[in-house]
Amino acid sequence: MWVKLAFKLFSREFRRGELTIIFAAIALAVLTVFSLSSITERIGLNIAQKSSDFIAADRRLSSNHAFDPQVLTKASEFGLETAKMLYFDSMLFANDELILGSVKATTETYPLRGTITVKDSLTSKDYEVDVGPEAGSVWLSEGLFYTLNVKIGDKVELGAGIFNVSKVLVKEPDAPFFSLSGNKRVLISYEDIPTTQAVQAGSRVFHRLLFSGSEQQLSDYYAWLKPQLKSNQNWEGIKDRQSPLGNNLDRAERFLLLAGLFGIMLAAVAMAVSAKRYCERQYDPVAMMKTLGGSRKVIRNIYLLHLSLVTTFSIVAGLAIGFILQTIGADYLATFMGTELPQAGVRPWLLSSLIGLICAMMFSLKPLLDLFDIPPLRVLRRNLGDTLAISRLHLALSFMTIFVLMWLFSGEIITTLILFVSTLLVIAILFGISRLLFAAGRSLGLRPGSSWSLAIATLQKRANANSIQLISFALAIKLMLFLVVLKTDIIADWQMQVPPDAPNMFIINIAEDEVDPIKQFFTDNNIAHEAFYPVFSGRVDAVNGEEYARRVSKQEGEEKDEDARQGVNREPNLTWLESLPEGNEITEGQWFSDEAKTGDEIEVSVFDGWQETLDLKLGDTITLLVNEQPIKAKVTSFRSVDWGTLKPNFVMILSPNMAGTVPVTYFSAAKLQDEHTKGISKLLQRYPTISMIDIKSQIEQAQSIIAQVSLAIGFVLSIVLISGALVLISQVQASLAERMQEVVILRTLGAKGRLIKLATLYEFMLLGAISGLVAAIVSDVALLVIQQQLFSIEGRLHPYIWLLGPFSGAVFVSTIGYFMVARTMRQNTQGLLRKIA
Amino acid sequence: MSVLSQLNVIQVSGLTKRVSTLEGSLTILSDINFSVKSGESVAIVGASGSGKSTLLSLLAGLDVASEGDVHLDGEALSTLDEEARARVRAEKIGFVFQSFMLVQSLTALENVMLPAELAGDHDAKAQAIELLDKVGLSHRLEHYPSQLSGGEQQRVAIARAFIGSPKILFADEPSANLDSKNGHLIETLLFDLNKQNGTTLVLVTHDEQLAKQCQHIIHIEGGQLEKISQGVEANVG
Repeated sequence: MWVKLAFKLFSREFRRGELTIIFAAIALAVLTVFSLSSITERIGLNIAQKSSDFIAADRRLSSNHAFDPQVLTKASEFGLETAKMLYFDSMLFANDELILGSVKATTETYPLRGTITVKDSLTSKDYEVDVGPEAGSVWLSEGLFYTLNVKIGDKVELGAGIFNVSKVLVKEPDAPFFSLSGNKRVLISYEDIPTTQAVQAGSRVFHRLLFSGSEQQLSDYYAWLKPQLKSNQNWEGIKDRQSPLGNNLDRAERFLLLAGLFGIMLAAVAMAVSAKRYCERQYDPVAMMKTLGGSRKVIRNIYLLHLSLVTTFSIVAGLAIGFILQTIGADYLATFMGTELPQAGVRPWLLSSLIGLICAMMFSLKPLLDLFDIPPLRVLRRNLGDTLAISRLHLALSFMTIFVLMWLFSGEIITTLILFVSTLLVIAILFGISRLLFAAGRSLGLRPGSSWSLAIATLQKRANANSIQLISFALAIKLMLFLVVLKTDIIADWQMQVPPDAPNMFIINIAEDEVDPIKQFFTDNNIAHEAFYPVFSGRVDAVNGEEYARRVSKQEGEEKDEDARQGVNREPNLTWLESLPEGNEITEGQWFSDEAKTGDEIEVSVFDGWQETLDLKLGDTITLLVNEQPIKAKVTSFRSVDWGTLKPNFVMILSPNMAGTVPVTYFSAAKLQDEHTKGISKLLQRYPTISMIDIKSQIEQAQSIIAQVSLAIGFVLSIVLISGALVLISQVQASLAERMQEVVILRTLGAKGRLIKLATLYEFMLLGAISGLVAAIVSDVALLVIQQQLFSIEGRLHPYIWLLGPFSGAVFVSTIGYFMVARTMRQNTQGLLRKIA
Repeated sequence: MSVLSQLNVIQVSGLTKRVSTLEGSLTILSDINFSVKSGESVAIVGASGSGKSTLLSLLAGLDVASEGDVHLDGEALSTLDEEARARVRAEKIGFVFQSFMLVQSLTALENVMLPAELAGDHDAKAQAIELLDKVGLSHRLEHYPSQLSGGEQQRVAIARAFIGSPKILFADEPSANLDSKNGHLIETLLFDLNKQNGTTLVLVTHDEQLAKQCQHIIHIEGGQLEKISQGVEANVG
């Protein structure tokens, strides 16, 4: 029988709007978590896919030596797809022209991820293919066509074989972003390696195996492979810490995480306030039911059923709205990115439902227990039970729940702790401030009959309730301000990385005697360009006289993480420079002294990411092999490098006294427009050895990602703003019953509607302004810390929010408060009297 | 069960209520003794703060006495816990309150059905409609309390009080929140229904005129039973 009654009560309470705020708060928590975690997951998966394109696979294994055939057969057993590649240099000959080309031979499965961009002639439009050249054919990069003076269909000699030139090779997915061999790339089939006879015992070759499959298959395979990896074999993942893309997305993910945490925090506050308020409003019905003989068990069942129903409905609604929002959001992002976002797994569904459930149970638990304890005597003594309203246990439970929710969502204990503890601190400070403010307000002289006096009197009268309101308002405003400012700063920081005048073309392989004519070409054509950097390639051979290979094998037992070892085997591009380049910062040691610029001893400044990988310290001597010539350099500084910029960055910078000791080519970057295309083609024909690397697509990609992530952030921000508004509404609504009583008393005493409305407006305005001011101060300080610690953005103060905070607080809070009270004012006094009876 | 207790549907003996305050223990009711026979009407009168509402709460088992006992239809309330007292209320007691105490989210009809539904009675609807008809609200069945006037709300409360045919009806200042015309209407209705149903009526009021309509008037002052006088009804009877 009670079930029928419970359903009836539930449907009525729901229709009357008693459960709306609880419903909205749970639904909001669920949809925030759902949409954020699925969008983050989908973008994350997309990035992983994109990164896979960059290495043409999910994982790759590289070595200077041939691999045991078992490595490949085992991979197939694990269900992985594989491809084989071999890199070597070989002479190309055609039309009496001879040049050393960088050859890459690939099996027919290459590329496992991504595509190869080719052209059918030098002048035709490029297109993408997903398989390399067939046996007997060769694809050449554009520069080689000029050097060898060949066209499509011609024959070239490569080593001992004769090949048919079938395509212009524009871009390989796994081509180095910046390489000295950019213009001499040759792609042939793996089957043709013997034909060239270029690979003999002792030849300098580089082997690479590509793998693709599910994460599970890959990690299972790696578990098998790891114990057998030799020191000269390098296993690479898809995570590239040094990509500008990865860097920005990392920041975006942090922002989304932070915003999600704030969203949860706000939804939780709304939930806690509304659950308490709902239960308080049920005190009379419960006392009534007990008086009428309702047993505790029946009453408990009725309300537990209510809670279960509202929880179920709100979780379902939250998931549905979240799903729609994230679908719209992801579709929009996908269109923007020109790619499809992979579907998220079950995690967002489970996580958001779980968070909704915890939210509902934990915040309602104590108010519900209080509700069951309401004595029936309340029907005669109307205020009985009101003292149950604030309980330490409820507060403790609520805080604990918020902490658990944040932790569950972020999975990061440190971030959660920082946010949680700082929020507790904010609450403590605000509580103190509000007490002081309201106490100080008492000494103000009041003029009877004015709206201001009434407003201040009301504020003081409800000092306790106001402290809690103030904290909620301030918290909501703080979180909103915080995210708005952070969003603006992050996006501004990103846009600075890709300013409109950023170079879009790298020019590499410039010989010393070509520097001046090219500079002249730039000047004649009014092309903005960067400095000309000397560049040479070198390999780390030894550190303090100890061979590098042995050094790595020594680290084998030290559980070096997969990423840390990545990339060390490659030959980095090196330079020498007079001064520290933009975007670099010395983290240890000193930049080159004047002596180093002129003296005999060569010094080197190393990227700090390599410091740990190579186990380097200041004063170590690195031996670099440059064209088989050993160069000894003393480590005098470590640098942080901002890989977020699309500017040339160097892992090692040597002191300027290197000049003249090794042969170099020069490198520069320029901003080219479409009208320069013809001139550039002429330049390439005149100096066929130089090579242009078009980074327009990278810039466009970076810009589109910035735009897309900004969009995602805006979307998340609006969710958090809704949460904030909900907190404000729930708070105002919580005090509405008491306000209504006052309105009735004042109306009965003949107060004019205008006086009451204005008094309400001023009261909320004051509350909003105070909250806004406190919120602005606290958020600005918190922003300073968070920007530096979490986002590596230069922290700075934002004086404008010191005005924006109180102003928006006053407007926002007073608007909501005013409209909610004004609604009650429209009823006549008798009607109100009946309502509060 | 004694013959006396069978006759006396309410038996109050040595009833004392003390509460602890910051200044120490405060006696609100002291050694109250009286009995009410089945079908009688009794008014409890006294000035504000005299302890009459406390007495009502103890009689109805809404509160527990510090000393003494209340026997309701033979059941000693002091021996019962909260749940058992709720059961007694469900089976034997009806209530009418000064502030109506209707559940705002239920219609007039549903409010009347509520006690029966809480007790698991499945056939309450017909009885509820009949009762609402008796209080003149058959045209207001589906109205919510906020859509009814004060007088109408109290009539709903009276209809609710009689559902399940309780043996005893407790009314706490039933007309205090109403204008004199509506107040009078409510009082007449209450007494009429009481007579029709043969219910024992215990009425708390400070209105001497209303009290006089009952058979017995219990005067409370300063927490003590000052006297028991006869009302108009008793004289007539």
